[in-house]
This record gives sequence, C-alpha cells and structure tokens, in this order.
Amino acid sequence: MAEEILEGINPTRMELLALKKRQNLAVKGHSLLKEKRDALIKEFFDILDRVKGARSDVELTLNEAYEALTLAQIQLGDLAVQKTALSVKESVDVNVTSRNIMGVPVPLCDTEFDSRTLVDRGYGFSDTSIQLDNAAKKFEDSVKMIIELGEIEKTIFLLADEIESTKRRVNALEHVMIPKLENTVKSIDMRLQEMERENFVRLKMIRSTLEQNEAKNAAKTAFDKA
Amino acid sequence: MSSVAVIGDIDTVTGFRLGGVREGRVVNNKEEAEKALDDLIETNVSIIIITDKIADEIRVHMNKTIGSEIVPMVIEIPDKDGISESDGDQMRALIKRVIGVDIK
Repeated sequence: MAEEILEGINPTRMELLALKKRQNLAVKGHSLLKEKRDALIKEFFDILDRVKGARSDVELTLNEAYEALTLAQIQLGDLAVQKTALSVKESVDVNVTSRNIMGVPVPLCDTEFDSRTLVDRGYGFSDTSIQLDNAAKKFEDSVKMIIELGEIEKTIFLLADEIESTKRRVNALEHVMIPKLENTVKSIDMRLQEMERENFVRLKMIRSTLEQNEAKNAAKTAFDKA
Repeated sequence: MSSVAVIGDIDTVTGFRLGGVREGRVVNNKEEAEKALDDLIETNVSIIIITDKIADEIRVHMNKTIGSEIVPMVIEIPDKDGISESDGDQMRALIKRVIGVDIK
C-alpha cells in the first residue's frame, strides 16, 4: 500500500500542477476536519457529564412514581384509577426546536409546565385519595425529567454519529488520500526527470552523429580537393 | 395540542395520564406497538415516551421509522417491573465506539 498511486494520471507537467493543488487542498481539509473532530469530542464530553446522573435520577423518580401508583390502585382499585386518570388535564406543552453544535443540529426542548395544584388537575375529590394525588405529583415530576433526559440522550447520539463520520473522513484523508497524492506527485516528478535525462542523452547522440557526419564530410571535401 | 405521548402497558399509560400526558396508547403486542408508533409519528407528536420492553420488541421497526431526525424524540423508560439492564451498556458501548477509550 505504501507505493500506491492514483490511476489514470498522465505524467505531464499540467497534471503535476493540478495534483499539487489537490494535495494542498487535501492537507488543508485534513487539518480543518481534525479541528472539527476535536471540538466535537470536547462538546461530547461536556454533555456526557450532564447525562451521567440524569438517567439514574429518572429511574429513581419513576420507581417512586410507580410505587405511589400501585398504592393508589390498591386503595381505589385499578378501574377507578384509570377512570380518574382519563379526566386529568394536559399539563405539558413542549416545543422542540433545534440548536447547532459545530454544524450538528441537536434538539432543544422548550418545555412549559403548569405547576398546578390539586384543583387544577381536573379530577374530583370525592372518590380519590391522597395516594392518587401523590402518584400524580410524582408522574408530573418524572415527565419533566424524562423530557430533559431525552434531550440530552438524543444530543449525545447525534453528536456521536457526527464524530464517527468526521473521524472516518479524517482517517481516510490521513491514511489513504494524502499518501496516495504524495506518491503520485513523486512518481510523476521522477518520470518527468527521467524523460528530461532521456532527451538530454538523445540530444547528445544526435549532436555527436552530426559532428561525425560533418567531420566525415570535411575530410571528404578535403580529399576531393587534393 | 398535545405534543407528548406514551406507548406502554396499561399501568404506565395510566400513570402518565395522571401526570398530565393525555395521549397514551396501551399496547399488548408487537403489531399494536408498531401501529401506535406509526400513528403517533403521523400526528406530529414531538416526544414519544416508550417503555423499554416494548422498545426492545419493535427495535428494528423503530430504527427504520425514526432515523436521525430531531423530531420525533423517542425516550425509553423502565416500566413498573423495573429497569432493563441493557441500557447503561448501550451508552457505554457508544462512548467506547466514539472515543475509543472505555470510561466508566
């Protein structure tokens, strides 16, 4: 692989110039992409710190919420809880927009919660209990946290994708494209030098033949005169 | 307009309804789950909360329909039987693949 060159290139001066231009571009692109990759990884680490606790927090809160729900179900019965749940009013309003991290669009959730009291939830008091209120409160909390977690996780996945493709491009340039271009430039250069030498030798040969001929002719005319 | 929705078993959906997410789809098998997901995507729901057991079952379908768009955002959560173990590993594997080093 070390001496691989681009195929279908003629060893001419024009091609050499064009190739040198391409090589410059590749090197410049490579350093730019490398910078992009490093910046992305830095960004990735920053967000990683945020996700660490978030997942387990959500799991903990949810667990509590499920427990509270089970308690309510024990007290009131499955059906009553389901019936009550149907009359609860919508509490979340999310507007998902996007934000740019180094050219990667990532989600940005604009969440609006009505922090609400018992009365706002929309179910009656007569056939419900405090356990049910508790469960509702816990689930409200978890929804909030779940949305935050989702935003962070999605961001991480998108960033990871971008990092991977950037990495692949950096490596392709560094290990395949740039060496190939270098080798091609070198081989064309050598081919041109070789051609120059050949030409030089050819000229010498022609000249010496001409000189010989001239000398012969001169000798002949001198002989004829004599 | 409701922009958050839940796909899960009856208890999960009931819980989230109590918490104020009105759009809930109770699913019992794979086909129902796939249909619910397609339905929700069609109605432009921006955040879909799904229990991880169901997500595992329709993983192939999910990857096909969702892709790397921002919306809809699908979030997997444990259901009331607890946390599935695979999730933390997924994240770790991803980090390892991206950075090349294993971080705890």
